[in-house]
Amino acid sequence: MTALYRLSALKINEMFKKGEISALSIAQYFLKRIAKHDPSIGSFLKVLETEVLLKAEELDRKRKKGLFCGKLAAIPIAIKDNMHIRGQITTCGSKFLTSYKAPFDATAVRLLEEEGALLIGKTNLDEFAMGSSTEHSAFFPANNPWNLETVPGGSSGGSAAAVAARLCPMATGSDTGGSIRQPASFCGVVGFKPSYGRVSRYGLVAFGSSLDQIGPITTTVEDAALMMEVIGRHCPNDAMCLDFPQESYEMNRDCKEIVLGIPTQFLEGLNEEVSANFYSAVDIFKSLGIKMIEIDLQILKYSIPVYYVLSTAEASTNLARFDGIRYGNRSPNAKTLDEIYDFSRKEGFGPEVKQRIMLGTYVLSAGFQDAYYKKAQKVRSLMIQAFDKAFESCDAVLLPTAPSGAFAKGAIHDPLEMYLQDLFTISANLAGLPAVSVPSGFTKANLPLGIQIIGPQLCDVSVLQIAHAFENLSPYTKIPPIFDDEAP
Amino acid sequence: MSAFDKQTLAHLKKLCRIDCTEEEEMALLERLQRVLGYVDRLNEVNTDGVTTCSFVLRSLSKLVFRQDIPVNEMPREEFLETAPDQIAGMIRVPPVLKSP
Repeated sequence: MTALYRLSALKINEMFKKGEISALSIAQYFLKRIAKHDPSIGSFLKVLETEVLLKAEELDRKRKKGLFCGKLAAIPIAIKDNMHIRGQITTCGSKFLTSYKAPFDATAVRLLEEEGALLIGKTNLDEFAMGSSTEHSAFFPANNPWNLETVPGGSSGGSAAAVAARLCPMATGSDTGGSIRQPASFCGVVGFKPSYGRVSRYGLVAFGSSLDQIGPITTTVEDAALMMEVIGRHCPNDAMCLDFPQESYEMNRDCKEIVLGIPTQFLEGLNEEVSANFYSAVDIFKSLGIKMIEIDLQILKYSIPVYYVLSTAEASTNLARFDGIRYGNRSPNAKTLDEIYDFSRKEGFGPEVKQRIMLGTYVLSAGFQDAYYKKAQKVRSLMIQAFDKAFESCDAVLLPTAPSGAFAKGAIHDPLEMYLQDLFTISANLAGLPAVSVPSGFTKANLPLGIQIIGPQLCDVSVLQIAHAFENLSPYTKIPPIFDDEAP
Repeated sequence: MSAFDKQTLAHLKKLCRIDCTEEEEMALLERLQRVLGYVDRLNEVNTDGVTTCSFVLRSLSKLVFRQDIPVNEMPREEFLETAPDQIAGMIRVPPVLKSP
């Protein structure tokens, strides 16, 4: 029998349904794998061993009685640690929240659980999801399973690394400017950011409310579709969550009618290796009968300044709630009310978070709002218009996911250089579009690269179908050699 | 744009309610100056007559307000458990008003 870690979530679920394996054996198997491998990766902040074993036993009892156990029955899923699981600590990778026990389930978490998922642990992230390397976790950095001296990307680096090393077949991520797709690209897995409004953010600790989305990180596109079928639902507790009929995520589709747009000018100056990989992916699409056209998205070169004005403005507002009064840690050195605010925030937040709160406060402050915040919102409008125009002549836009493969730990100190990591991913958040990263090959140093497909608003299914067709023809979904320890 | 200097940072610290060490302050100043310099690139874009994007969902969803019905989703004790300090069913804080 093929070792369990080599199987997709869908396959594991099928085996469980057929009675070929018990949920308990699946849970025990992946817990063992985490215990063996995670010390070198650092992808989990907490493993929910007791809870997952109890849930597995419950599923086994249910199945024995012939009851339906759910679409995700017996699939171990890791949850990024900025989403609430009731009764568990949600740290957000921050010292501020080391004692914050979530009093309710995030909607996405509840939906996964209701469909029989085994919530196996909480994954590492850059503090408050602010970062592109998972080096800014207040606890410990996560490493890339393809080369432990490189970063897994971020901020959902723990989730991507865990799935890449096959410590679990699926994980959730959250994406404000690329935090699902860039780590998926760095770790050689699939990462999908749904359309804005598709998945409820209730119970996700807010970062940039006009940008945040929750989505799947998986080893195959079909698995991503499977998770979307479960979490892509309306929920009244997120005012921006769309009340649309439930989508059917059927993945097989004849792609001959599809037209993809390439923003050639925007891609000028691309690193040689990434460029070669991107255009070889284009050839794969062509071999599917997909037509390629050139489109103009030059305005996207302003994505980063727009994003760093808007996301920090929203973050400074959202993170105002961390005051040391209502939740999180209160500074033991504070004696007065003012000191509670000042000291708790000083001691609780890391440098990157402080920097972003300050930047966001600055761009919203009197005298600067028009020059920064409103200006950025106008350029955002222009980007949305440019996408609208592009989608008049193509079904989706093709971009690399990241401007490079995974970089060495500690290699990037300059904030701008780090922010440039998100050059190709940010625009999908600014315009609220669905976008997926699929593995598209490797660098000379054998580090994964990804290609990104961005579709029009609400065309989540279509974006995944195109990715699925690509995946069927490309042999790039591989297991990192060090963690492929039971290879046949 | 006016210069982002130590004085601006001191004002921002108050607005953000974030205290920091002198060392942190130096690093912050340098990094924020650098990021803001980059953000100034937005001035290259002509936005005359462009409306600000205030709603990313655009036509997909009209802002629908929920009915104003009180719900009690969380028992008081559970909510209070998330607070760092509590007393008699309330969150405890140091005195806000000083005695004369």
